[in-house]
Formats: sequence, structure tokens, C-alpha cells
Amino acid sequence: MKQSQCADMMVLLLDDEALVLWDLEEEMRDAGMETITASSVDRALALIAHRVPDVAILDVNLGAGVTCEPVADRLSELGVPFVLHSGDLNRSGEVIRRFDVPLLPKPTPAYRLVEAVRALR
Amino acid sequence: MVEETDQVHRAYDDSPQRFRDNNAEDKFSGANGVLFEQAMSQTRMAVCLSDPNAPDAPIVFANRAFLELTGYSEQEVIGRNCRFLQGPATDPEKVALVRESLAAEKVVVVELLNYRKDGSSFWNALHLGPIYDDSGKLLYFFGSQWNVSEVHAARAEEAYAKALSRELSHRMKNMFSVIGAIVNITGRAQGMQEEARTINDRIQALGRAYEPTLDEASLGSIEAGQAIRSVLAPYDPEGQRIRYSGNVVRVDPNVVSTLGLTFHELATNAIKYGALSNDSGVVEIEWEPIVATDGQNGRLKIVWTERGGPPVTHASGNSGSGQGIMTKLMALSQGNVTYDWQPDGLVVTVTAPTFLEQVKF
Repeated sequence: MKQSQCADMMVLLLDDEALVLWDLEEEMRDAGMETITASSVDRALALIAHRVPDVAILDVNLGAGVTCEPVADRLSELGVPFVLHSGDLNRSGEVIRRFDVPLLPKPTPAYRLVEAVRALR
Repeated sequence: MVEETDQVHRAYDDSPQRFRDNNAEDKFSGANGVLFEQAMSQTRMAVCLSDPNAPDAPIVFANRAFLELTGYSEQEVIGRNCRFLQGPATDPEKVALVRESLAAEKVVVVELLNYRKDGSSFWNALHLGPIYDDSGKLLYFFGSQWNVSEVHAARAEEAYAKALSRELSHRMKNMFSVIGAIVNITGRAQGMQEEARTINDRIQALGRAYEPTLDEASLGSIEAGQAIRSVLAPYDPEGQRIRYSGNVVRVDPNVVSTLGLTFHELATNAIKYGALSNDSGVVEIEWEPIVATDGQNGRLKIVWTERGGPPVTHASGNSGSGQGIMTKLMALSQGNVTYDWQPDGLVVTVTAPTFLEQVKF
């Protein structure tokens, strides 16, 4: 495994699209980061309860009108920095306005998300 | 026989006169009364008056247009409270609003779903307001109703089209996101990460080129300036290094993929070797339509000018794949691309054939 200045960084990835999770996971690992992945709010909250990540990338719309808001709230309480990742800026508007965090429109190449996560620390 | 609907030639509507005869004490008398009579019988606006001083505020007058709109006869209408026009799908909140306004003697304008005698429904733009006599006593409630069903249908259709194009835009972005993931995953698995990234950047540029077009997909054409800005946005996150000028001009959707890839390659090249490779260089992009004699077909001419980059040599202008792609694409679409390595920076002129639709202000 490659080592880098981010070796001690753990990233929570939340996205309802398995292929996007896969790509991000590999890109983050190649950059020397540790990852935990979730495709639902419940799973993400359970992972956070088990171990608090250092940073997170949250897909805003998780299908069927569900958003990442509860996860974003929890991370905010814990003081964990995160970025929002969304393909629908209109519908995500409410969530985006509530959290003053970087927003990356979908599609953004995975390597740029790595850069964005690094910038959080 | 043709049904006569012309207002002027219509049979005389005597309902206003009968109303006046029955309400001799009110102010619809003398010259005012004649005016009232003529106006009520001629207007295509359905009008009724109700008496708030009688039990359950019955309708005391309804003009011909009201009867035509609702399908009821005068006998069926007079003496009834106008709630008989409501039906199963009438919004109770709006009815409550009407009731409150009447109680407060306020003017109210609402759109209500109302029902005709035959059970069919129509959207009624209802205007209600109090009419007072000289002493300020409440005499009647005036109600005018206008059938706005068509307006409603058009509005609903427009809202539906908007929602649909938003959904489409969202899905397309997600699809490009997933395509990007597949390319990356495959590239990594095959040990070709760099190649995968190049492919991915091109695909994503293509996605961005089509992005601004979806909101107005129904127009069938694409605003060239928006497409160019969208493609180049990631290369100038602060919005300081790339300048755009050109009028609003709509072009063929199929020009967009060519333009998308062309400007992606130009930007990639500028970041590696040109004006975007240092901290101070800028790129100016100007576009103008060149209209052919038939006024429809023509060419879109776009000039890409780099300034303030590192000193230019012919060799620094990437003779590799980027330029090859642009030249090939333009040749295949019967367009043209020329490169001019000026001392100040690279100048590229692209002309692409397209139909043109200029928006004049």
C-alpha cells in the first residue's frame, strides 16, 4: 500500500451509487487514505457511531427524496469537516444552504475529490 | 345552422332588466341602470350578485354569460347560494379564503375548480367584492367568474416540462458520474490510470457541454456561449482567467459535442503550456455568428486568444493528440480550425457550420 502524508486520514464516503463508491474508495486508497463506505443514511450513522471519521464526502440526494442531511448534522455536531457532492443543485439547494461547506457538482473526477478532501485538513 | 356566439348579434339578455324591476329601491336606476343593463348583457364575463342581507346569501342576479359558463338556467341559479358551483375536487382552503373575505367584506381573487350542471369542471378565476349603497350599507356581493382552464392547463404543462427536464438533467449528471467511475475503475484494473484519466476528462467535458442545454431542451437548439462556459468552468474556478464575449446565439445541438471536446483540448493545452500554465495569463473567447444568405444556415466563428502566458514557440503548442483531435473533428464536420502562434500567445480560430438562431435584444 502506498503511503502518503494522509495515511492517518479516514474518509467516510456516502453515495447511493455503488460504482461511484467503488471509484472513490480506490482513488482515496491510492492517495493513502483509509475509507469507510455507506450507501444509506442509517448505515453512515452506524459507521460514525462505531468510529468517527476524519473527513467525509456526502452525496446529497440518496434517492426517494432522502438526503444526507442527518449525516451532515451528526458530522457537524462532532466537528468533522465534510464536502457535499451532488448532481442536482436545484433539489439539493436547501441542504446546501444549511451547511457552509465546499460543494462539488457531480460529475467531478475522483482525483479532484481527493484534492478537496485534502484541503479540508 | 351556425351557432351565433357573436356578442353584438346575440339575442337580447333581459335578465338585468328583470333584476332592476325586482330591486327598484337600489341604485341601479336611471342612467346607471341602463348602463348596468347593457354592460351586463353584453359582457362575456360571467357576473352574479348575491344578497348578503338575506338568509344564506342567495344569488339575486346572474347574467347570460354566467348561465352559459355554468350550464344552469336562471331559475336554477336565483335564490341559491353560489356554493353549488363547488364539487369534489374544489380546494377547501380556497373556499375558506372566500368565506373569510366575504365575512370581512374584502375583495378577493382566487382560482377555484368549479363544476357545471353537467358535472364537467372548469378553472374559475373568481373575483368577489362588496357593493355598498350611498349610506355605506352593504348591498350586494359582486362576483365575476372567468374560465381560465386553458391557462391552467398550459401552466401545468409548463411546470411538468420543467420538472421533467430537471429530472433528466439530474439523471444525466449521475450517468456521467457513473461512466467516469467505470472508466477509472477499468483503467486502474488494467494499469492504465493516466489513460483512463485522459478519457474521463474528455467524457466529462462532453457532459458539461450538454449540461446547460437540458433546462431548455424543448427549444431544440443550444446557446453556444452557455455551452462553452460550462465546458471551461472547471479550468477557471475563480472566474478570473477566462473571459467570454459574444451575443446570445443558438446553434445545432450536434455542434455541441465538437465544441465541447475542442475547448476541453484547448484548455488542457493552455494549462500545460499556455496562458493558464502561469499565474497571470488570460484567455479571451469571442464568438460571432456568420449568417449565410438564406438567413438560417451559417457558421459559428469562435476565436480563442491566449495572452500573458510563457513565451510562445511553435513547439510549445502541443502538436500531439489535442490538436489532432480538433483538426480531425473540424474536418469531419466541415468546419475549420487554424492555429496562429503569436508572440503574445496562441490564437485559435474555429468555425463550425450550424443553423443559427440569433436572439435580438
